[in-house]
Amino acid sequence: MTAAASEPLIVIEGVTKRYTTGATPVVALRDVSLTVAPGEFCTIIGPSGCGKSTLLGMVGGLVAVDAGRVIVEGAPVTRPDPRRVATVFQDPGLFPWRTTLENVEFGLEVRGASRDVRRRTALELLGPLGLRGFEDRYPRELSGGMRQRVAIGRALAIDTKILLMDEPFGALDEQTRMLMGEWLLEIWRRTKKTVIFVTHSLHEALALSSRVVVMTARPGRIKTVLDLPLPYPRAMESPELVDLRAKLWSEIREESLRAMQGL
Amino acid sequence: MSEASRARIWLIQALSVAVILCVWELAARRHWVDPLFVPAPSAVARAFGSIGGSAVRALGDTLVKTAIAYGLAVVLGVTGGVVIGSVKPLRDVLNPFIIAVYGMPKILVLPWIVLVLGFGTAPAVVYGAIHGLFPILVLVMGAVRDVDRTLVTVARSYGARPWQLYAKVILPAVVPTVVASMRLGLVFCLLGVLIVEMFAGVRGMGFVMGALANGFQAPELFAATALVSAASIAIVLALDSLSEKLSRWR
Amino acid sequence: MKVALARLAIVAALLAAWEVVARAANPWLYVPPSKVVPALRELLMLGSYPDLPSHVWLTIREIALAYGLAVSAGLAVGFALGLHRTLGRAYGPILAALYAVPAVVWYPSLMLFFGLDAASKIAFGFLLGFFPITLAVLAGIRQVSPHLVTVARAFGARPLRVFRSVMVPAMLFTLVGGLRTGLALSVIGVIVGEVLGSKAGMGSLINHAYGLSRTPDYVALVLVTLALIVGSDVGASLLERRARRWTE
Repeated sequence: MTAAASEPLIVIEGVTKRYTTGATPVVALRDVSLTVAPGEFCTIIGPSGCGKSTLLGMVGGLVAVDAGRVIVEGAPVTRPDPRRVATVFQDPGLFPWRTTLENVEFGLEVRGASRDVRRRTALELLGPLGLRGFEDRYPRELSGGMRQRVAIGRALAIDTKILLMDEPFGALDEQTRMLMGEWLLEIWRRTKKTVIFVTHSLHEALALSSRVVVMTARPGRIKTVLDLPLPYPRAMESPELVDLRAKLWSEIREESLRAMQGL
Repeated sequence: MSEASRARIWLIQALSVAVILCVWELAARRHWVDPLFVPAPSAVARAFGSIGGSAVRALGDTLVKTAIAYGLAVVLGVTGGVVIGSVKPLRDVLNPFIIAVYGMPKILVLPWIVLVLGFGTAPAVVYGAIHGLFPILVLVMGAVRDVDRTLVTVARSYGARPWQLYAKVILPAVVPTVVASMRLGLVFCLLGVLIVEMFAGVRGMGFVMGALANGFQAPELFAATALVSAASIAIVLALDSLSEKLSRWR
Repeated sequence: MKVALARLAIVAALLAAWEVVARAANPWLYVPPSKVVPALRELLMLGSYPDLPSHVWLTIREIALAYGLAVSAGLAVGFALGLHRTLGRAYGPILAALYAVPAVVWYPSLMLFFGLDAASKIAFGFLLGFFPITLAVLAGIRQVSPHLVTVARAFGARPLRVFRSVMVPAMLFTLVGGLRTGLALSVIGVIVGEVLGSKAGMGSLINHAYGLSRTPDYVALVLVTLALIVGSDVGASLLERRARRWTE
């Protein structure tokens, strides 16, 4: 499954980000360039501190660029654009005073959608989300995996072309992660969104993506881009994937070591 | 907690109260203590009858003043707390001033307030409001400052505009603290009003209690004290159950 | 830096406004700073109230006694209720209910019993300071992680050692907070008591100046009392820092 259209949906051009808190300025990203085609599942992977969350934040309009630009659907990004881009964070960030249903409706509410539309959309999503029966529960009554599903549901409800996910399964145990990954693939194939997925996990990168972008240690640059034109669901024990895994690990390992020594 | 232990606790409480009352009654009757200063519970009970009507009227007077002061304190305290707490430069600059005034015994300015406003209702309402304002202000400020940053970021990523951030994130998030501060504020307002009534009052429970103390009318004073205490506890319990209902999501 | 300047600007603006408005409206009632300064000098040179030192000393003694009693009783009752489950469950709610009553309702009864002397102020200050200390002890005990206690006991620690090495350090922060609140409240209790009716002490002087409408003297007395209070709070935080270094 390859990117069909020739026109890239997301263009990141020569982007640099500096943080000047504290005595010495820190360069999080230096001259990063990347394009993402429509329908891709693009994973960004790299050691801690390599700036992958910053990069995602820039596409989502939450982080300003110091140099270069980010263009989404032909328009430069200056602020969050919930008509085009939805973001899911590692901390689900559910509003504790809202029920599951009300949380999923949130984006639609901000947009000004009518009560009926909101209710209907949210209810329809609950099935695929596996949350039927939990409409009126509060976040504190839900498990970690369920909360993250609600957060993803909230993002899906506003039906954007692009879905950004910043280590969404990072706080979950391994088994839950794998199940959530399978579930996410289902959703992706059904909705045909463009997904940029940030992770630490090699398994996730190989099991889910159509393309893997490896970043260097800070200051972050793009080290390698691996295309994965392989069928789903991925046969993780196949010789191809075992090879890819070794290759990916050797790229990342180098950067991880560098990051560990630097930090 | 099991039924049995709950019953046992109730028993201990009831027994303690009963024992204290009996010993107290005995002490007064046998003149182990001077009944002029420590009246017997039976005398206090009788006194309820004699001052009943006027005490309730005085209590009503006090509560009306408290209600007005409380309204002022809540409106100013909550809006002030939300505004100052959410605007960082404002918060940084004003914080030490607010903490300083909060920690100052406000009774020091009471004589001046009475000089300006005279005796009676006005100083009671103003002073009561000041008394209740600060705890509410400080608590709400703290709650706004402590709103989970992630929630604000999430809302912004969904395109929420500033007024939506307030309406959909900040205000709902601080509701439990606002309610808790309102409960605290009520006790403080009542406290302020009573103090003014004792200091420069012409009516109200504080004035009545002060007069009873000056007249060495111990049974009546104890009865009045019990009445105010009961009223205060009842109001606070009512507010507590209200706040519980509003914080189901916690 | 900018913040400090802004604060300075606010203070300066307030003082200036106070001066102008007070002079224009009613300089006797709204005492402008220019009148406060000479009154303050008069006071500190013992001109307006020659026996000021004895009053200051009395107030300090009342506060010390009230607070001392509050700490002793507060710690005793707090630990008794906190460490003994049934006692705590039985009397805790009663304590919480009493805390819901505005403390000043007890004062007329105290005045009846103790008269206008220092005793009623000490008693009132004690009552006010007692509750936050007791409640802080209870809260502190409640927040000691049972897991830590389990770990200590797994290493063979006896109850006293568990108390000393696990409970006290774990609850120290809450406890110290309660002790400081208790001090602030004891101070307020003593001063409120003095203002509402006393023969001696800072509050009585304030009352005296107010009664004779000697507003500049009244403001000066208030400032001196505030200095006293701030001093006690600063002293308390210094002691707290010393104590913390000592327990580390």
